[in-house]
Amino acid sequence: MNSPLTPAGLNKSTRNLDPVLVFLVLVLTALGTLTLYSAGKGTAHQSLWIRQSVWNGLGLLAMLLFSRFDYRRLAQSSLSIYIAGLLSLLVVLVIGHTVAGSKSWLSLGGVSLQPSEFVKWLVLLFVAHRLGTKSPEALTNWDLVGAAGLLFFPMFLVLKQPDLGVAMTYTPILLLFPLLRGIRWRWVMAGALGFTLLCTVAWNYKLKVYQKERILTFIDPSRDLKGKGYQVNQSRIAIGAGGLWGKGYMSGSQTQLNFLPVKTTDFVFSVWAEERGFVGILMALALFGVLLHRILAIAGEATTAIGTYFCVGAAGIFGFHILINIGMVSGALPTTGIPLPFFTYGGSSTLAFFLALGIIMNIHHQAKSR
Amino acid sequence: MDLRQRNLLRKRLTTFQAGAWLMVLSLGLVYAWLQVVRRSELQKLALSQAVKVRTTPAPRGIIFDRNGHRLVDNRRAHHLVIQQEDLPKDFAQVESLAGALEQDPDQLKRRVQLALSAGMKRSLIVQDNLDDAGLARAENLRARFPFLSIEVAPRRVYQGDELAAHVLGYVGEVNPQLMSKEPGRYQLGEIVGRSGFEAARNDVLKGQDGQRKSLVDQLGREVALYGLENSTPGQSVYLTLDSGLQKTMQDAFGEERGAGVVIDLRDGGILALYSSPSFDPNAFLGHMSQENVDQYVRNPTQPMLDRATQGLYSPGSTYKLLIALCALEKGIISPETTFTCHGKKTYYGREFRCDGVHGTLNLVQAIARSCDVYFYELGMRLDVDEIHATAAKYGLTELTQVDLPNELPSRIPSREWKAKHGRKEKKWYAGETISVAIGQGQNGLTPIALARFYAMLGAKGKVLTPHLLYAQRDEAGQMKTLPPPKARETGLDPKIWAALDEGLYEVVRSGTAHKSALPGVAMCGKTGTSQVTAFVDKAHYRTLAKQFRDNALFAGYAPHENPQIAWAVVVENAGFGADAAAPIARKLCQYWFLDRLKRPLPAPGGKLPDAFEEAQSEEAEAEPIDKAVIAPEAPASKVVPKPHDAGGLR
Repeated sequence: MNSPLTPAGLNKSTRNLDPVLVFLVLVLTALGTLTLYSAGKGTAHQSLWIRQSVWNGLGLLAMLLFSRFDYRRLAQSSLSIYIAGLLSLLVVLVIGHTVAGSKSWLSLGGVSLQPSEFVKWLVLLFVAHRLGTKSPEALTNWDLVGAAGLLFFPMFLVLKQPDLGVAMTYTPILLLFPLLRGIRWRWVMAGALGFTLLCTVAWNYKLKVYQKERILTFIDPSRDLKGKGYQVNQSRIAIGAGGLWGKGYMSGSQTQLNFLPVKTTDFVFSVWAEERGFVGILMALALFGVLLHRILAIAGEATTAIGTYFCVGAAGIFGFHILINIGMVSGALPTTGIPLPFFTYGGSSTLAFFLALGIIMNIHHQAKSR
Repeated sequence: MDLRQRNLLRKRLTTFQAGAWLMVLSLGLVYAWLQVVRRSELQKLALSQAVKVRTTPAPRGIIFDRNGHRLVDNRRAHHLVIQQEDLPKDFAQVESLAGALEQDPDQLKRRVQLALSAGMKRSLIVQDNLDDAGLARAENLRARFPFLSIEVAPRRVYQGDELAAHVLGYVGEVNPQLMSKEPGRYQLGEIVGRSGFEAARNDVLKGQDGQRKSLVDQLGREVALYGLENSTPGQSVYLTLDSGLQKTMQDAFGEERGAGVVIDLRDGGILALYSSPSFDPNAFLGHMSQENVDQYVRNPTQPMLDRATQGLYSPGSTYKLLIALCALEKGIISPETTFTCHGKKTYYGREFRCDGVHGTLNLVQAIARSCDVYFYELGMRLDVDEIHATAAKYGLTELTQVDLPNELPSRIPSREWKAKHGRKEKKWYAGETISVAIGQGQNGLTPIALARFYAMLGAKGKVLTPHLLYAQRDEAGQMKTLPPPKARETGLDPKIWAALDEGLYEVVRSGTAHKSALPGVAMCGKTGTSQVTAFVDKAHYRTLAKQFRDNALFAGYAPHENPQIAWAVVVENAGFGADAAAPIARKLCQYWFLDRLKRPLPAPGGKLPDAFEEAQSEEAEAEPIDKAVIAPEAPASKVVPKPHDAGGLR
C-alpha cells in the first residue's frame, strides 16, 4: 500500500476520504465564513473573514495531511506528544501573553496560537491510546481513573491561565469513556458525589469573582443587564428578531448596528440566527447533528479500540462545543467563551478542529481499506 | 473484539448517536421558543433600540387681534440644549455644568434623570433664548461639555409685554402634574399653554408635532433615516380683542388694581380684558430670574391672578339692576312705583342707611341716584331665592364659558347656598336679603360675569357668551371668521327693559356718574361702591389704609340709542365708583366710539426684527374686519419702543 515515493504512513489516495464528512466540513466552513463576513462588515473586524479563510485553508490542508497519516503511528508516539503538549501549557504560563484575562497565547513569528486548543486533542489521542491498547478484559476501573488523572494535568494548567471555558471542553472525555466501556451505578454515584464536591470546593476557593458572576448572571440575567447580562439579552433579541425566515443576509439590525456584542467570536451564531431565522437554525443544527452522527458511526467501524475511543471522544468534544456555544448565545446555558466549530473566528481552534477531523477521516480510511 | 462486545459497542454508540440528536433537538426547541413563540416581542425590542424617534416641535399658531395686529408671534431663538442621545450619564458632569450656568444642580440633575428614564423624544433645554453674549458663552461651554449643542427653535414673543397677559397667557414645558393628570396626552418637554388663551385653546394653537425616525447604532449614532413626518404648524388665530382698546384700558388703569372687561354686543366677543396689575408673559418662557419671581409670583398684589375671571367682587350698587329686574318681573313694583327715602330706615329691628336723603323717587330716579332705601324696600318684598332665580335666568349664576382657563363662578346667595356654605349660621335671615338688595352681603361677582349681565341688558335680554376666539387664518393668510358661541334669548319684557335702560341712561346723564358723561356718546351704566371693611362714618373712612378702602365699580353699555358694547370695570380700594371706575369706562367709550375711527392706536410691540415663520408683508395682506380700523403706516417702532425688543435677534 505504501508507495516508495511517499513517506511511511502517508497514503496518496484520497478516494477513501469520507464524502459525508467532507461535504459537512465544506458546507459548514462556507456558512461560517459568510456569517463572519456579515458580522465583521463595517467594523474593526472587517477583514477577519479573510484571515479566517486563511486558517480554514490551512486547516483543510492539515485535515488532508492527517487523513493520510496512519493514526496508529500517531498514537504510538502519543506519550511524547502528550508531554510536549503539557510543556507547551507550562511555557504559556511563563511567557504567554494575556487576552481577555487569560494568559493562554503564544506568539510565534507574528502568529498567535492558543496551545490549549490543540492540547485537548493530544490528550484525547493519548487517553484513547492508553485505553485502546489494553484488551477489553484487562481494562479496569482504575485504568479509567488513571485516564482521568491524565486529563487532570492539562486541565489544571489551563485553569491556571485561567481559562475555564477551554478547560471545560476537556471534560466530555471524562464522561463518555466510562459510559462507552460500561460502568456500574455505584461508580456513577461516586462520580456524581465527587463532581458535586469538586464544584463546591471550586465555587468556594477556586472560581474567580468574574466566573461566579457569569454563573449568577446566567441564573438571573437581569442581575447585570449592562455587562454579561447585556450580551445575552442582545443575543436573544437578535435570535428572536430573526423570526421564522430571518432578516436576510447582512440585513439584521442587531448585527449591523452593533447591538450584538462579540459578534465575530462567541456570539457569531446569533448573527446566523438573525439573518437566517428558525429555518436557518434548523439547517445548521441538522448539519451539526449529522456531523456528530457520522463521527460516532466511524467510531463503530474503527479497526482498533484506539480509533473507537478517539472518535467517541472527538464526538464528545465537538458536541460539547456545539451544545455550550449554541445554548449559551440563546441564554439557555451560562456565558462561557467556547468557540463554535466552523463559525467562531479563531486560528488555533479552527486548525485543531480540522486536525481532529483529519485523524477521524484516517480512522475511516483505515477501516475502508482493510 | 468478540462479537458480544462488538454488539455491546454498537448498542452504546447508537445510544450516543441518539444522545447527539437529542441534544440537537433540545437546542432546536430553545430556538423555536425564541424565534417562533417570542418573535414579535423580540422583534419589537430590536426595533425599539435601533429606531430612535425625535420629535420636531410644530411652531405654534400666531395670535392676532381682530385687526390683524400681532399679539403673539414666533421668533427664531437659540437654545443651549442636550440632544436626547447625548444625555450625560455621568452626574458629576451635570453638576459642574449647573455650576458653570449658575443653576440649581439638583434641579438640572433631576431633569436629566427624568429625560433619561422617560426616554425623552426632544432635546433638553439647558438655557433658553441665548443672546449674542449668551451664544458666545455657550460655545465656550460646548468645548468643556461636548454633550451640549445649540438648537434653533421657534420661541413665543408676546407683543406689548404686559398689555394682555391674562388674555394671552404664556407657554412653557408641560409640567409633571399635567402629564400625570392625562397620561399619554403630553410628551416630556412638550411646550404647552400654561395659562390664558394659550392654555385654553392649546389644542388649536399647538399644531401637529413632526417625527424624525432614524436608525442608530449601538452608540446612538445615526446610521440612516428611517422615516420622516413633517410637523404641521399650529392654527393661527384672530382674537376678538382690539389691541387699541386694550391699550386704552391698560393706560386707564395705570397703577390702580382691578379689572375691566368690554364685550361686543353683536356677538359676545371680548374687545378688551385687562387685569391690573399685569405681568410680562415673556418673562415666563424660560428660566425665570429671581427678580421676576419676586415681581410676579411672590408679589402680594398677585399680578398673576386674572381678576377679570377669577376675582370675586362684591357688586355693590351695580347689583341693584338685578333686584329691580326681579321686582319688576314679579310684579311687586311697576316703573312708576315710588318709595320715600329719609336717609335711613329700620328693617327687622336694624337700621339701614342710605348715602343721602333722596325723598320720594320712582325706579328710574332710584337707579340714577343709587338710592339704597328704594332697594331696601324691594329687598324686604323679595325672597332671596327669587333673586337667585332671576340671576339664574339672566345667566349670572353660571360660568360665562369664556375661553380662558380656571374661570370662577359668581357667588349668588340663596337658602341652599347658605345651608351648604354658611360659616356659622346655616339658616337664611330676611335681614340679609336687605343687604343683598344693594349688592352688599354675600354676593361675589367676577368682572366678566358682571359685564355679561350688563351686556344682556344692552342686548335687550340676550345672554351672550363672552369669547376670545374670533377667526382662523387659512393657508392663504386670509381671515376666516368663526361662528360665535350661541346666545340665549331670555324673553325679557321690553317694557321692563325700557325702564331699566332709562334708569341706566339717567345715571350718566344726570345721576351718580354724570361727571363721566362723554359728549357725543350716550353712555348707560351703573356705579357701584362696595365696602371692603366696616367703618363708622366718613371721617373714619378717610383714615383707613388704602387696602381697606371701598372697591369702585362701573358697569354699563353704550351708546344708549343703539348699544354696541357693554363693560364692567372694577377698581380695587379706589373709593366711589363714580370717581374711580366710571372715568375708565368713559376713556374706553372715548376710544372705541371716537378716537379709534380717527386715530387708531398702532399695533403693539413695534415691528419684528426676525419673524420666524411668516413674512412680515403678510400682515398687510390679512383682511381686517373693519376697514376703519386699519392702522395707517404707523412708525410703530417709534411709538412703542420696548426694551424687550432691544435684546432680540437681528
